Amino acid sequence: MAFIEISDVVKQYKGHTALNHVNLTVPKGCIYGLLGPNGAGKTTLIRIINMITAPDSGTVMLDGSPITADDVAHIGYLPEERGLYKKMKVGDEIVYLARLKGMSKADATRQMLYWLDRFHLTEWRDKKVETLSKGMQQKVQFIATVIHEPKLLIFDEPFSGFDPVNAEQLKREILELQKKGATILFSTHNMESVEEVCDQISLINHSEVVLEGNVAEIKQRFKKHLYEICLAGGEQLQPCEELFTIEEARPEGTTIIRLAQGVAIREVIARLNEQYALRGFSELLPTMHEIFIETVKNSSNNE
Amino acid sequence: MNKLLLIIQREYMSLVARKSFIVITILVPFLFIIIASIPVLTSKLNSASSSLETVTVIDETGHLSGVISDNEQFRFIPLRGEPGTTNVKRFFDQSGESMSALVVIPANVLDSAQVNIYSKSTVNMALVDHVTDCLNDTLTSVKLATMGVPDLDKIVREAQVDIDVNSVKLADDGSESESSTTAAMLLGMVLSLITYMFVLTYGAMIMNSVIEEKTNRIVEVIVSSCKPFQLMMGKIIGVALVGLTQFLIWAVIISGLAVGLGIGLADSGPMSEVSSLVGMVQSVNLVGTLVCFVIYFLGGYLLYAALFAGFGSAVDQASDASQFTTPIIIVMIVALYAGLGCMENPNGTFALWCSMIPFTSPIVMMVRLPYDVPFWQIAVSVVALYATATAIIWLSARIYRIGILRYGKKFTLKEILTWIKTQ
Repeated sequence: MAFIEISDVVKQYKGHTALNHVNLTVPKGCIYGLLGPNGAGKTTLIRIINMITAPDSGTVMLDGSPITADDVAHIGYLPEERGLYKKMKVGDEIVYLARLKGMSKADATRQMLYWLDRFHLTEWRDKKVETLSKGMQQKVQFIATVIHEPKLLIFDEPFSGFDPVNAEQLKREILELQKKGATILFSTHNMESVEEVCDQISLINHSEVVLEGNVAEIKQRFKKHLYEICLAGGEQLQPCEELFTIEEARPEGTTIIRLAQGVAIREVIARLNEQYALRGFSELLPTMHEIFIETVKNSSNNE
Repeated sequence: MNKLLLIIQREYMSLVARKSFIVITILVPFLFIIIASIPVLTSKLNSASSSLETVTVIDETGHLSGVISDNEQFRFIPLRGEPGTTNVKRFFDQSGESMSALVVIPANVLDSAQVNIYSKSTVNMALVDHVTDCLNDTLTSVKLATMGVPDLDKIVREAQVDIDVNSVKLADDGSESESSTTAAMLLGMVLSLITYMFVLTYGAMIMNSVIEEKTNRIVEVIVSSCKPFQLMMGKIIGVALVGLTQFLIWAVIISGLAVGLGIGLADSGPMSEVSSLVGMVQSVNLVGTLVCFVIYFLGGYLLYAALFAGFGSAVDQASDASQFTTPIIIVMIVALYAGLGCMENPNGTFALWCSMIPFTSPIVMMVRLPYDVPFWQIAVSVVALYATATAIIWLSARIYRIGILRYGKKFTLKEILTWIKTQ
């Protein structure tokens, strides 16, 4: 069922349209990726959900009713531009932000200790934020965002500024939060994380949603009927016009083929088994990266 | 409501824990005491440490050499001189270091009334004063004597009048009470200066705090948790509490030091003057004045603090803030000068208007208050002040909620005014 439903949202700034009749549905309990090139309108959309900016027209529904300031006060929100009070101590800062979200002092303190331990920051509890490295500050900010266990989490570019190791931990944490029942919406440029984490995505380009749906389903939709074939003994695959064309012969011995229209995989495998010693056969689905670039290019050309 | 308290608490704690706050809070009272006690200390030090200086007096008239008497600082050696023949340089060459100055009383001193003092270094002011005092008295009586009128000096003394004005305040029932104009003036001036300094110092503090949050980018997180209005009011109240804390600590330290030093410097001039001033201040309607002070002080603070917060939200860096702070400061300086002007004529038209206009009333009314302002004037001005302060807070809140999330360019006043209308 729909947890967030954005209908027909329009936002115009002086001289340009930031969002043009955007519709978007985020199901409950899913991890939803908001993709799009710089300046596409992702941050504006996130700010509208957070009621930081108001849309010119259109509605945002949360769990079946229009979103209110009280709802927003419970959202865990990680803005794109990270910021903390530099002069505050790490522990105090997390507790303060948690209490602003409505936690009691005791709960906030307990959770703060739990999360600091989880991110290996316990020894930094009484240090001022300004003495932490940028990566550590990012972790502190992440803790402050999720500490009150909100039902809805919104992250704007959560992976920017993290090294691969920490990005990996962040992915694990996001999946963990989903297991606990949170719905997570995040914008990103990091396509790898989209493949690994997201259930659903929306691709925004030039203020419009140009692609929306389930990640696996989108991949199927964009598949080019490409297969990777590996033959034993370094044998060379010969073209076979009525079944497939050879797209690319890779130096390490594998070959990429494209199936001809209307040909079933079964037929190809049968033919190959007759002629060669077949060692591997796998479907090659497009990466989100490729889909992203292709869709953005197409939608930009259409204008 | 809970969130407002939380914000106030954080604002307060973060400002009070700053090193600069602690240093200033402790240093200022000591600086104050040091500056206040400089006159006392210098006079004590002078009389205690300076060695006796020898001054030669060349008397060309022949009958005035003994007139300049020795005191604890100077010893005078009188010498007889021929009119117009004194060679100053020779005297210094002969006497060397032992003579610090040379006073030459010319033969025609009665007519010219001029005496020269020579010294190798700059002439000591105390010496000039002493010589002038001694010669003035003597020469006056000598001159009077030459007039040939019997008992003339006595007549002149009796003719000198020194008016002593006692200002007496007449109450409606005809009873008289002594009022002290000096004390009233001083009290009013001190109170309006306190308002002025407090508003400027802590208004700027609010502005910096707003700008800091904006450049930190933390503001987006905060306003997703609470209303911008709560954040702004939390700041204004938090900073006010910081200011009151600082003033309280200053008051305690200064009065502590004053009492401590007062015992040490008992009976020395300036301190007994202070105690007589305290007595005069008590003769003014102290309770009424202080109650009004609190009311005006709060209203004025809220008004200006909201202005600082609103404009602070519209700039990215403290260095860009001057385009908005300058007009505020100019208004405050005008208010201060209006207050000074009102001391001359506390019940004049100018004073009346300035004590009604909300932007100047907190300062100007402080000056007028000790002079028994009619109740209706105070009522009107207080209502006007608080109505305006409320309006400014409302306007500033509307600017604030948009300004804190706008980055990257300087906004003109015109653009900011459109924010007020934005829903």
